[in-house]
Amino acid sequence: MTRIPKEWQTPLLLIAILVAVALLGSLAAPAMQRTVTEALVKLTVVIGLYIFVGNSGVFSFGHIAFMAIGGYISAILTILPAKKHVALKLPLLLEAAQLPGVLALLIAVAAAGLIAFLIALPFMRLKGIALPMATFALLVIVYVVSLNWTAVTGGRQALVGLPRYTNIWVGVAAAAVALLVAAAYGTTRHGLALRCSRESEVAAAATGIDVARERLIAFVISAAIVAMGGVLFAHFLGTMTANTFYLDLTFVTLTMLVVGGMRSLTGACAGVAVVSIVSELFRTIERGIDLGGFTLEAPPGLQEIALALVLLVILLTRPHGLVGDWELTWSAFAKKSERGE
Amino acid sequence: MIALQNAIDAISLGAVYALAALGIGLIFSIMRLINFAHGELIMLGGFTLYALAGQPYLVMGLAAIIVVAIAALGMERVAFRPLRRANPATLLIASFAVSYLVQHIVLLVFGSRPMGVDFLAQLGQSIEFGGLRVPGLQLAAIIITLVLLTALALFFRHAPTGVQMRAAAEDFTMARLVGVRANRVIAAAFAISGVLASFVSLFLVAQTGSVSYKMGISMVLIAFVASVIGGMGSLIGAALGGFLVGLVSVSLQAYLPVDLRPYRDAFVFLAFIAFLLWRPQGIMFRRADRERV
Amino acid sequence: MLKIENLKVSYGSISALRGISIDVAAGEIVAVIGPNGAGKSTLLLTIAGVVKAAGGEIVFDGHRVHGQAPEKLVARRMALVPEGRHIFGSLTVAENLALGATTRNDRAGIAADTERVLAMFPVLRDRYRGKAGKLSGGEQQMLAIGRALMSRPKLLLLDEPSLGLAPLVVRQVYEAIFELKQQGLTVLIVEQSVNRALAAADRTYVLNSGLIAMSGRSVDLHGTAEFDAAYFGMART
Repeated sequence: MTRIPKEWQTPLLLIAILVAVALLGSLAAPAMQRTVTEALVKLTVVIGLYIFVGNSGVFSFGHIAFMAIGGYISAILTILPAKKHVALKLPLLLEAAQLPGVLALLIAVAAAGLIAFLIALPFMRLKGIALPMATFALLVIVYVVSLNWTAVTGGRQALVGLPRYTNIWVGVAAAAVALLVAAAYGTTRHGLALRCSRESEVAAAATGIDVARERLIAFVISAAIVAMGGVLFAHFLGTMTANTFYLDLTFVTLTMLVVGGMRSLTGACAGVAVVSIVSELFRTIERGIDLGGFTLEAPPGLQEIALALVLLVILLTRPHGLVGDWELTWSAFAKKSERGE
Repeated sequence: MIALQNAIDAISLGAVYALAALGIGLIFSIMRLINFAHGELIMLGGFTLYALAGQPYLVMGLAAIIVVAIAALGMERVAFRPLRRANPATLLIASFAVSYLVQHIVLLVFGSRPMGVDFLAQLGQSIEFGGLRVPGLQLAAIIITLVLLTALALFFRHAPTGVQMRAAAEDFTMARLVGVRANRVIAAAFAISGVLASFVSLFLVAQTGSVSYKMGISMVLIAFVASVIGGMGSLIGAALGGFLVGLVSVSLQAYLPVDLRPYRDAFVFLAFIAFLLWRPQGIMFRRADRERV
Repeated sequence: MLKIENLKVSYGSISALRGISIDVAAGEIVAVIGPNGAGKSTLLLTIAGVVKAAGGEIVFDGHRVHGQAPEKLVARRMALVPEGRHIFGSLTVAENLALGATTRNDRAGIAADTERVLAMFPVLRDRYRGKAGKLSGGEQQMLAIGRALMSRPKLLLLDEPSLGLAPLVVRQVYEAIFELKQQGLTVLIVEQSVNRALAAADRTYVLNSGLIAMSGRSVDLHGTAEFDAAYFGMART
C-alpha cells in the first residue's frame, strides 16, 4: 500500500470503507438500507461539490441546480412514454424515448456538463462575492423554471414513474467514481493550479495561472458529478419534485461539506457520515423509541433543528471542520497498528 | 396614467427592498458577514404580529420592532460573536445554520400552513390623488422608508456610535486602535439591522395579511441581490439597489407577456447575473475597496 | 513605562518574534530598527493588542497587558500609528481627529487637544472639513499622528513614520515627535531609516530575524562595526 502515491491512497482507502459500510448495510433491514443508499448518493453530490469548492475556495450555492437538471433529463428519458404523454407535453422524440438507466444517466451527466460549461464561461470572470451570488441566482432560476415549465418538468406536480434502480451498490459505485474523479483531478496540474489560487488569487495570477480557466474546468467536472448524484437521487426517490432541489438540500449538502472539512476528500466523507448519523438518530427519536416502559418521542421537525445545532457547535469549536485538511492515508493506519491499537 | 401607477408600485416595493437590503448591507460593511438569518428576523417580526393579533396596532407594531431587535442581538451574541475571527466561508455557513434553525423552530411551534393576521388592514384602501388611486400602504411604505433613511443618515453623520460605525466599516482594526469598542459597535449594528427588518415585516404583513415560516426567504434573497448590486459595503448603494430591484421587478410584472409572468423571479435573477457581469463590484464601489496587494 | 520580556509571536508555524525583551522608560524615545521581515511591525502590533503573543510578558504603566483588546489599551493611554497610516479616508479630518478621542469624554480637554494638534500640524486646519482620503501622504501621516495624540497617550507607538514621505515632510514629523517628547510623551518608534532612528532616539534596539541583535544608547551604536554586523545579520547574539 505504501508504494501507491498518497493522493491515491486516500480515495482507495475511502472506497474500501464505503464497501465495508455497504456490506454491513446490505445485511440490515430495508429501511436502514435505504438510509445508507441515500447517504451514499448525497456523498456523491458532496464530493462533486468539493471538487469545485474545496479546490477553489469559492463557495457555490448553485450545485443543486445541476442535481435538478440531471434528474429531470434522466426522468424524461426513462419514464414510460404513456405516462409522459399524460403528464407532460414533450416533443415527439423525447416523449417516445425510453432508454436504459445507464444511457439516460450518461446523457444527463453530459448535458449537465455542457450546460455548466456554458454557464461557467461568463461566470468565472466574476470576482469576490459576485461569483457565489451568481451561483445563488442560478439556483433560483433553475428552481423557478422547473416549478413553472409544466410541459417539461411537470411544474408543481411531482413527476412520477422513474424506475427506482438506485440501491446500495449503485450508491457505492457512484461514490467510488466520484472519489476517483476527485482524486484524479486533484493530482493534475489543473487541480494544483486551482489550489494555488485558493491561497492567493494575486500570487497565482502572477505565476501565470489563468484562474478563470482553472475554475471553469473544476466547475464543469464538479457539475457533472453533482448531476450524476442528482440522477441517482431521482431514481432513488422515484419522483422528481422541484421543491426537493432548492434551499433545504443546498443547506444540507453545504453543511456536510463544511462540517467534515472543506479542504479534503476525507473531510467530505466525514461530514456526510456525521450529518447522516445525526439525522437518522433524530428521525428514529421522532418515530419514538421504546425504552422499556415509556416511549421517547419527539415532535416532527426536531431532526432539522438538531442538524442546525450540530452544525453550529462544530463551527464554533472546530471552524475548519472535523478533519481540517487532513487526508486519510495508509500511514495513519500503519502508525496505529504499530502502537498496538 | 398606468405608467405612473407602475412607478408608484415600483417605488413602494423598492422602498421595502431598500430597507431589507440596508439591514444586510450594514452588517456586511462592518463584519464582512452575510447574514442569511436576516430573513428569519423578518419572519419573527411577522409572527410577533400574529402572536399579538387583536391588540391595538401600535402595540403590535412596537412589540414586533422590539422583539426583532432583541432577536438580532441574541443572534449576534450567541452565534456570531464566537466566530468573529473565523473565515468568511465559516461565517456564511453559520448564518445559514441560524436561518435554518430559526425556520424550523417556528415550524415546530406554529406548523407549516400560512396564517392570517389583520394588521393595518385599512391601509389597503386607496387614496385619490388627482386621478391616481394609490393604496395607503404604498404611500406609507414610501414615507416611512424615507423617514428611516433620513434618521439613519443623521445617525451616521452626527451620533458618536454612528461615526464609529462608519470608521469600523472602513477599517475595523484601525477603529479598535483608536478605542472604538468592537462589541458595542457590532451590537449596535445588529440592533439597527433588526429594527430595519421589523419594518419590512410590518409592511409584508400589512400587504399580504398572512405569515408563514418561509416568509423571510424570498425577501432575503432579494435583499442580497439588492446589496450586491449596490456594492456590498456601501449603505447608499444598498438602498439604491433596493429601489432598482423594485423597479425591475414591477416593470417585468407589468410588461412581460402573460405566459412568461410566472417566470418573473427567474427574469429578475437573470437580470441580476447580467448586472454582475457588467459591473461585478456594484454601483457604489470605490476603487480603494479592491483587495490591496 | 513599557517593559517587554521574552516576547514570542508566531503566525501559524512561522516564528516572527523569538523571545525579545525591551525596556522603555518614561519620557524616552526608543527606536527599533532592523532589516525587512525582522519582525518590527509584528512587535508593535502585538504591544497594541492586535496580534496575540504566544509567550512572554508585556507590562505597560505597571499593568500586565498582553492579551488585552486593542480598544482597552487605548483607554489605558497607549496609541499606535500603524504602518501605512490607516486614516479613515471616507471620513473628514475633523471626524478622524474626533475618533482619536473616542475613549475620552472631557469635552473641554478634547477641544483643547484638537487645538494643539492643529497648531502642531497647521495643514490639517486648512483641510479640517475635507475628506481625509484626499490628503497627501505626508498630510495623512500628520493626521494619523494627530489622531493618536487625541487619546492623550502616555506611550506613542510609531510604525515607520517616515515611509513614503518626502525628506522635508519627514523632518517636520520628527520635529513634532521631539516637541512631544519635551512635553513628557514616551515614544517607541520602528524605523527603516537607520540614520533617522539613531538621530532621534535616546536608545536603539536592533531587531533581526525575530531576535534583539544589539541594543544601547544611540550615540554609542552609531558607526560601530558591531552595529553593522548586528543589522546585517553577520553576527548573532
